[in-house]
Amino acid sequence: MKGDAMNGDARLEGLAKRLGHRTADRLDVEATARKVVERLREQPVRRIAWVQQAWLRIAAALVIMVGGAVAIRQNVVRSGGVHPAHLVADDLTDLSTDELRDVLTKFDELISTDSVAVPEGSTDLQELDAQQLRAVLRSLEG
Amino acid sequence: MANPLPRTDAAPDADLIAAWRTGDEQAAAELVGRHARALARFLAGAGAPDSDVDDLVQESFIRAFRSVDRFRGQCQFRTWLLTIGGNVLKDFGRRAARRKVLPLDEAVRDVTGDPHEQAEAREVEAMLAAGLQQLPRLQREVFLLRAQQGLEYEEIAAALATTPGAARVHYHHAVKRLKEIVK
Repeated sequence: MKGDAMNGDARLEGLAKRLGHRTADRLDVEATARKVVERLREQPVRRIAWVQQAWLRIAAALVIMVGGAVAIRQNVVRSGGVHPAHLVADDLTDLSTDELRDVLTKFDELISTDSVAVPEGSTDLQELDAQQLRAVLRSLEG
Repeated sequence: MANPLPRTDAAPDADLIAAWRTGDEQAAAELVGRHARALARFLAGAGAPDSDVDDLVQESFIRAFRSVDRFRGQCQFRTWLLTIGGNVLKDFGRRAARRKVLPLDEAVRDVTGDPHEQAEAREVEAMLAAGLQQLPRLQREVFLLRAQQGLEYEEIAAALATTPGAARVHYHHAVKRLKEIVK
């Protein structure tokens, strides 16, 4: 039974190998090659046109991206965007002790010192360390 | 056009492809000479009408040469070309109603030897060709690439963007159905 199946497979493969032989034998290969080369010459690949189209697509994508970014930025600015206090709070961690003192000194000049939550026992900003200065500034942000 | 490179029969396809990429028409002609008959057999087996095989072979080569940048050596050039031939034939089939393949009267025309035996053999071939038309395209192409062109499953899988296991399954389904038709 298995032998019959294998014989059947072999017969089928034998038939398949012969399939199309006569058609292929009739093919004038040299003439075909000549015609292929002629057609390639007559209709060259439009590589330059393709490259131009690709650049146009890239340029269009850039315009959309830049335009979108500008529009989003304008909307954010117009609507108030992210709360400025939040931005200040984010930046506080990057400031050194001296820079924090400078910021508070400016605040001192701008607002009444009564409203600033200076830790008890401190009379001068010079006595505060960086952590305390940050706490003071954050209390000012509300 | 680039200057043709000196070549021998042993120049691998990869060298000819590289030469064609620089515009060497002679390299293109050489590749046609090497693979046109195998492509014609494949197309005829896949159902191309005898009278259209020459045009379909030309069209397949032209598509292959124009898109040669997409050939990355994932399989042999011939295998890649045969899959392009399959696409060309599919487009052809869309454009025109497919005619009967290998009609018996034409097959019998150039008989040598015992006319009765030859006619019988060709009748079986015609049945096989007709049976192939009843298969799904993927099964038909896998069968031809394997049985007619003698390719390994790995090679077939690379050309058809599938797995060797899937190619094997397609082949066995095709054989099962064709055996029923040809027996």
